[in-house]
This record gives sequence, structure tokens and C-alpha cells, in this order.
Amino acid sequence: MAPVAGTYDYDLAVIGGGSGGLACAKEAVNLGAKVTVLDYVTPSPQGTKWGLGGTCVNVGCIPKKLMHQAALLGESIHEAVAYGWEVPSLDAIKINWPALTEAVQNHIKSVNWVTRVDLREKKIDYVNGLGEFKDPHTLIATLKNGSKKEITAKNIVIAVGGRPHYPDIPGAVEYCISSDDIFSLGHPPGKTLVVGAGYIGLECAGFLNSLGYPATVLVRSVPLRGFDQQMAQAVTSEMEQKGVVFHNKCVPLSVEKLETGQLKARWQNTETQERGEDVFDTVLMATGRYALTKTLNLEAAGVTCVSNSGKIIAETEQTNVSNIYAVGDVLEGKPELTPVAIHAGRLLARRMFAGATQPMDYDNVATTVFTPLEYGCVGLSEETALARHGADKVEVYHAFYKPTEFFIPQRNIRNCYLKAVALREAPQRILGLHFVGPVAGEVIQGFAAAVKCGITMEQLMNTVGIHPTVAEEFTRLNITKRSGKDPNPASCCS
Amino acid sequence: MSNAICKSLRSPVRNLASLKKAISTSLVHNETILVRNNEEFINKVMNNDKPVIVNFHAEWCEPCKILTPQLKQLIEPLTDLDLAVVDVEDNADLVHTFEVKAVPAVIAIKNGLIVDKFIGLVETDMITCLINRMSGKKKEGT
Repeated sequence: MAPVAGTYDYDLAVIGGGSGGLACAKEAVNLGAKVTVLDYVTPSPQGTKWGLGGTCVNVGCIPKKLMHQAALLGESIHEAVAYGWEVPSLDAIKINWPALTEAVQNHIKSVNWVTRVDLREKKIDYVNGLGEFKDPHTLIATLKNGSKKEITAKNIVIAVGGRPHYPDIPGAVEYCISSDDIFSLGHPPGKTLVVGAGYIGLECAGFLNSLGYPATVLVRSVPLRGFDQQMAQAVTSEMEQKGVVFHNKCVPLSVEKLETGQLKARWQNTETQERGEDVFDTVLMATGRYALTKTLNLEAAGVTCVSNSGKIIAETEQTNVSNIYAVGDVLEGKPELTPVAIHAGRLLARRMFAGATQPMDYDNVATTVFTPLEYGCVGLSEETALARHGADKVEVYHAFYKPTEFFIPQRNIRNCYLKAVALREAPQRILGLHFVGPVAGEVIQGFAAAVKCGITMEQLMNTVGIHPTVAEEFTRLNITKRSGKDPNPASCCS
Repeated sequence: MSNAICKSLRSPVRNLASLKKAISTSLVHNETILVRNNEEFINKVMNNDKPVIVNFHAEWCEPCKILTPQLKQLIEPLTDLDLAVVDVEDNADLVHTFEVKAVPAVIAIKNGLIVDKFIGLVETDMITCLINRMSGKKKEGT
């Protein structure tokens, strides 16, 4: 329906029903706007698809955390023995993969449903179709049955997120799965090769290994590239100690299917040129994600602020076309996190419909990698702080620590480590906090608020800790890297 | 469609004779009513001369998998009370009309009016109490 005398079908059309899109849509409706949300999931190469809610709900944060939890619970059963629990036969303890995936998928479906009900309650029109631009104010949604629906809107928000990238090697698309498929995999994954050592690859390898499925990781350059490398090392050391095999500086060459149905993967070490191969039951590609902007037909809308990787460059979430915006993973150079998309989406809606001016603050966003031993952080990595301010102007406080609960079951404490990166000059404003240990996400969250308030080392050291916790270790920091003193703990309670 | 349901809710007095024609003849006494669309709901629940316990159910909901069989077991033997199961995935309109925000949800309908409602898996006592009230039985000792 073409706009008549400037009237559009909607005040706002959101392309993408994920974290960012839905948050923006719901906030807009609260502010009186007439809103429609388009959401569509193109099946993965292996045929997996899912419902409303986006990556986080269906194939990201939620199922990941649930499987991570399942893995931790498995470890807990073993630890419980040391605490006196009489566990019948420890070697009989094993994971029932179908039961796990059913429980996880049931939860996801309940969230899909609540999301749909919520949209209906709020009178947001939901269109299950793949959206593309016809012109700056017109979208065409292609539904599953092939029919097309034209929608006009005053404002349009692109919140299409991204999907897993497959390397261009033989067998990748035909035989390999990705994070799109693992959480609903119809058969136990068995011995798995994870290609990629970003947080998705490491988290998957981590929980698979803990669930009893041997995992191998191919690391192209370094693990958790972009994160503090010392902490990334601690994370991977712990995973190695738990049995995950790492092949560093290796890139995949090919994946072929054997008569047994298993997969033979070949790789090459880019430094030594040495080749390696092994047979796996599953090969999981975790080699990055790409933004879903190609199918949007951005040209028809005149949107040109697109990077080489396909992401949208929009510093204030507004594209070069004044009525078209973008939010979430589709944005260039912004943290690809659900809370970031949600917060940015809400602020954007307020700027669009309530005359607000507050921009999204993308700095000091806390995040956590949910590997078996978790890594939580907020602010700058040590490398970034040093590069930005110079070694002379930066002070790093660090410490190894021993969680009280680890003693009895004799859990490995070698990688329990934390550090605070601060400006050297008093009062030593904190630039970054890093923590590897149990419940790292819970530990770091509160400190994110502190960093936002500009917390200094003086304030941190004057904070009384809660005992016995692992979070209190931040308040006990007193040894600097510069001093060269031993950061290992003498004993607790002193 | 929800309009028709709302109207039925507001007018308890109806011409029973004309309605009997609307009731599907395939309705077997005491068999649980499986509601697949709004029309079935109006015919077999709103226009039912017997009170009906309507159970909003979802396959992905663990508590539903406990409650629904329990309700079937308690209600199927009764001749003066019916049970209708509404799968929330197939009946978005009904979910919206009855403002069902969580499952399991149980709504008791008598003569086209909502006379009771509970959300979640409640204790067996509460369920049997509701059933007794709906089927006109007086619970002993109350």
C-alpha cells in the first residue's frame, strides 16, 4: 500500500524479531507508536530452524547457558562424593543427550510462545516473513508459502542480526554443523571437532567435553581474539587440563564423509605447514558470524553505510537514510551482546518517539565467556590499556586465588586468577577488571556498575569483601605486576 | 472470532433447542474434547449444557504433562462434567481472549460463563475441589 499524503501503515517497522528488534518495538509501542515486527529464520545448511525471539533465545545465550549448566552439574555430581554424598555408581553417571536437548528445546519453545503472546498483547503486528527494502519507506515481506506482503512505515529499524559463517573448504556446508544446529542436534554429537576458538567455539567445546563428548579445537591464530590474552590463556589451559585437545595455528583444509558415516577432517598448521587429520562424529564450525544484510536489498532504500563485512556503520544507530536505523549484531564495531542490543533498541525507540536525546554508551560493557571455568570482564584488556596509555601510565594489580569450595574435591586452582588494570596515577581509576573462575558472570556484573561510576583502586581496596566468596578477591588485590612479587595466595582469611 | 466468544460470555440465556443442532454429533459423552479451532470451542464448550473444565496445554510445558493426564483421569468418568483441552500453539485466538499468559491454565466454564480459573500446576486437593463444585457434588465435610 503506497503512502497516501504522507500516511504510512506503521510508525515503525522492525526487521528482525530478536533481542534488539523486540526491545525497540515494545518500547515504541509503550510510547504510542503503531509497530510491526518482521521475523524469519532461513533454515541452516543442515535444515535447522526456530521460532520468534532471535539468536539469543533460540541458538545463542539461552541454550548455551543451559548446556553449560548441564555440564557443570555433571561435574558437581563427581565433586559431591568428596563432600560425603553417597553416589551409587560414579561410572554409570552419563548424559542422556535426547533428554537434555528436549528439556532445552521445551524451554526455548515456551519462550517463543510467551514472546508471541506478548507481541499480541501489546498489539504489535508480527509478520513471519523475510523482509527486504523496496524504497526507504516500503518493505516487502516474503512469507513461507512464497506470498509477498508490502508494508510501509515512517521509520524502519534493521535488527537482522547475523548467522554462522562457514569456511570455504570442501565438505564444510555439506557435512558440518554450527551453533545453529548443536542445541537441537537429533543425535548425540560424539567425538567433536570444533573449528574456531572464539567464545562460541570455546563454549561449545567446553560443555561438549564436560558432557562426555571428546572435543578438539582448531585455533587459527589465538583463542578469544580481541579479549585479554592472558585471561584467554587461563581459560584454554583449564580446558586442556579437562581433556580438550587444542591444535594451535591450524586452519581446516577439508571435511569428508567416511563410509561409517563419520567425518574425516584435515587441517594444516600455518606456521610449520605440518598437516594433521582425525576422524570425528561431528564437526562444528565456529569461525565467526556475518550480518544478514545481503538479502535486505539496502540499495533500494539508498542505505550505503555498509562495511566490507556487510555490517551497518551507524554510530548513533542511524544510517545515512534519516528514517532507517540499525540495532544489534548487525552494527559494525559494537559488542555483539543481547543486553547491548536491548539497551540500544530501547534508547533508540525513545529518541524516535519520545524526543529523548540519550545515546547508547557502548563503553565498559561487561561480558562473560561461559567456558567450563568462566571468564568475566569489564573495560579494557591489559593490552589495550597499555597501547592506549603506555606502560608507564598503567598499573596492573593481580592475584591467583583458591576458592574455598575447591579444596575438598581437590579441584584445580591453577587457573583461578584475576586482575585490575588501572591508571598508575592516584587515585588509580580502574580501566578494566578481569576474572577467571566459577560464576564469573555473577562476580563481574556488580563491578560493571562500579566501573561506570569511575571506581578507583583506592575505592576498591577500601571496599570490605564478603567472605567466603570468590568475588571478594577483587577487594583483596594489592600486588602489582610491576613489583614482581608473587601473586599466589599465602592463605585465606588474612 | 473472539467477538463471538465474548458475546457468548455476556449472554447466558440462549435458545437451547437451536443450539443442540450446532453441537457436533460426533461428541461422545465423557471423552475429552480436543479443541482445534474457535468453532469447535463455541460448539463444544460455550454451547455445552454441561459445565466444562477448559485446560490450556502446551507440549513443551512439563507441568502440563502432569496436570492434563490428571484432569483426564478425574473428569472422564464423570457424566455431568466435560473436559476440553486447548493446545496453546494451535489456538492463538482463544489464548488471547481468555488472557492466558502462562500454562497450564484451567478455566471452568458453565453456561458460557467463566466461573473459575487457576494458573499453574496446583495441588490435587484444589483440582478435586473445583471438579466437585462444577459437577454439583458437595465435598464432604465442607
